[in-house]
Amino acid sequence: MKKLWKFLGSMRFAILLLVILAAACAGGSFIPQGLDFQAYAARYSERTAGLILALGLEDVFHCWWFLLLTAFLCGNLLLCNLSRLPQLMKRTKAAADPAQLSAPSVTLEGLRDPDPVFAALRMPKPREGADPQGRTLRWSVKNPVGLWGAWVCHLGILLLILGFALGQATKEEYTVYGVPGQTKQVGDSPYALCIRDFRVEREADGAVAQYSAELTVLDLSDPGDPLAVDTTASVNHPGSAFGFKLYQNSMGDAATLTVRWDGETVQETVLCVGEHATLMDTPLALLLGSVIREGEAVGYGYQIYVGEELYDRNVQWEGDLIPDFQPYQVSFSQARAYTLIQMKRDRFTPLALLGGLITLLGLFLAFYLQTCKLWAVREADGSWTLRGSSPKGGALFAERLREAAREAETKRS
Amino acid sequence: MTALLNLENVLFYIVICLYFLATLCYFLFIGLKRDALGKAAILIQTLGLALHTAALVCRGLGAGRLPLTNQYEFAASFAWGLCLVSLIFIHRFKFPVLGAFAAPVILLVIGYAAMQSREVRALMPALRSSWLGFHVSTAIIAYGSFGVSAVLGLIFLLRERMRDRGFWDLHVPAREKLDLISYRSVCLGLLFLSFTIITGAIWAEQAWGSYWSWDPKETWSLVTWLIYATYLHLRIRRGWKGKAAAIFAVVGFVCVLFTYVGVNTLLPGVHSYA
Ligand code: HEM
Repeated sequence: MKKLWKFLGSMRFAILLLVILAAACAGGSFIPQGLDFQAYAARYSERTAGLILALGLEDVFHCWWFLLLTAFLCGNLLLCNLSRLPQLMKRTKAAADPAQLSAPSVTLEGLRDPDPVFAALRMPKPREGADPQGRTLRWSVKNPVGLWGAWVCHLGILLLILGFALGQATKEEYTVYGVPGQTKQVGDSPYALCIRDFRVEREADGAVAQYSAELTVLDLSDPGDPLAVDTTASVNHPGSAFGFKLYQNSMGDAATLTVRWDGETVQETVLCVGEHATLMDTPLALLLGSVIREGEAVGYGYQIYVGEELYDRNVQWEGDLIPDFQPYQVSFSQARAYTLIQMKRDRFTPLALLGGLITLLGLFLAFYLQTCKLWAVREADGSWTLRGSSPKGGALFAERLREAAREAETKRS
Repeated sequence: MTALLNLENVLFYIVICLYFLATLCYFLFIGLKRDALGKAAILIQTLGLALHTAALVCRGLGAGRLPLTNQYEFAASFAWGLCLVSLIFIHRFKFPVLGAFAAPVILLVIGYAAMQSREVRALMPALRSSWLGFHVSTAIIAYGSFGVSAVLGLIFLLRERMRDRGFWDLHVPAREKLDLISYRSVCLGLLFLSFTIITGAIWAEQAWGSYWSWDPKETWSLVTWLIYATYLHLRIRRGWKGKAAAIFAVVGFVCVLFTYVGVNTLLPGVHSYA
């Protein structure tokens, strides 16, 4: 049992997990995600399609084994960080303790003055004491905090994954689309969204510069006392209300469908492209397929359905009527843009962001604040023996140390 | 505006010529083993970098935005990043031979840039974000560093065959040091790749309402990140230094190149513009 725990928190297991996760991600990007058996069978073969579905490869990033691997990674990180904590604290304490100066990676003998070497390596001002043999000892430790780099990095990754997972599990997400003037219920939530205005800003050459929607979010939980918050959502600048963020997601064409009887309007419905409306109490439905612009002229591509059956499709130009519905006068008009707003509430985004920033900090500590120790002992003949260690500096540290010592000695002489 | 873009055009071709010349000089330097040629190559590469910087500035001013938004601009900036990081490592470690291996890669990347459309088009609204600058510029440094670590890995693998003791020993660090420099380069790359991923996530959150959506480019940057993380752990755990690490650095860079070029061409996603 103890062995199993040890393995689950081990770096060997971490490497295994990292490799499998990398392979799974790579695989997931090659296999088109979210298709059904028929689609995979058409692309590959029936056998491969069966295999893909059996292994959950049609939704790799959310399938049970991927989530399990990620959970193992979190457990692994947690166990590893917990088990290394006491040892790290001990090492940090030891870094300031002259009695713990041991295992040098470089030793230089016969120096006349060690201080310039401390300075050249930008070590903190050396402290003075005595070594166990009573000789004068000068020592300095640089960047003891660097010891914590990997630990902090792992903590950050853990928080990042946790924030992401909690966010995925608890986020509320809705899309609402409409034209200015419409107020729509937000899914099954107690909120409603009123689109007050929608603007498309263009450059001089006609290219779209920005889409902006003026919105009001209504909280209808207490119908007697509705709360309202105004906000603006444009691309790259989401609006916010009641903990939701509102994103200007996309836009499209919309038009008003008007049905008249004897000159009197009996039905008026706003349709976005792709939407349909049933005509009065008939079995006929009219779908707005597209809005066509040719110069000044505006046309509406429509389809008429009787029940599920397509009955007719054609284009109606602005000002004309759709002929099939006599004696009703049916027409599309007022082509305009609709906006699609995405409303999302994810309370764990800040946790994921914090995790990301901590990961960055950890990487910086691990790579750029490398711990090194330098200590010099005064020998009986008055010369100094300089020793240094830098677990990650290796040959580069040794080389720098030797160079600094050489320079200091030549300067002196 | 057009004057600046025309100037950029001229500078771009001069830069290609300079990089070509630098590559030639580096090759002659190792072929003829003449130190002066090595110095000349570094000088030409540095001049190339200066003009390359000027070209990018002209492009930015001419287009009225950061020159980091389409295939051409990103490839040109990628070459710039490679050139910058390799020169830093050449100076820092007094190592001109690195240039002989890095310069052809730079030439290749800038050649790829030359094949892309140079037209300045209006940016779609989602790309008009200050996060774009952070996201792409950190990617350039990351890619440049991974490129340099791969080149160092290659030199490491060839180091044993560099027989002429005098010349090679003078100009190419010993294998242990090569390995460490390559490792330092991976560290720089991983730090910046992490920046790239995080700034990209922040931007995606603002633009699309989702900071991570398993888009192929996102996924491949994660794969690259995981591969280099594995590299670091293998170094510690198995002492996978030296040859294995060198091979890993080369494979890692292949993965970087796939994230950069392969994903755009083979896999569809929101990054299809760059
Ligand atoms: C999944 C579980 C993981 C475990 C159990 C684990 C374990 C470890 C251990 C024990 C060390 C040695 C630290 C030292 O000697 O000071 C280490 C170092 C490190 N780990 Fe992890 N790690 C994991 C995941 C990751 C991931 C996903 C990353 C992503 C980048 C990462 C980044 C690092 C870094 C940057 C170092 C320091 C390397 C160096 O300074 O050379 N680790 N890890």
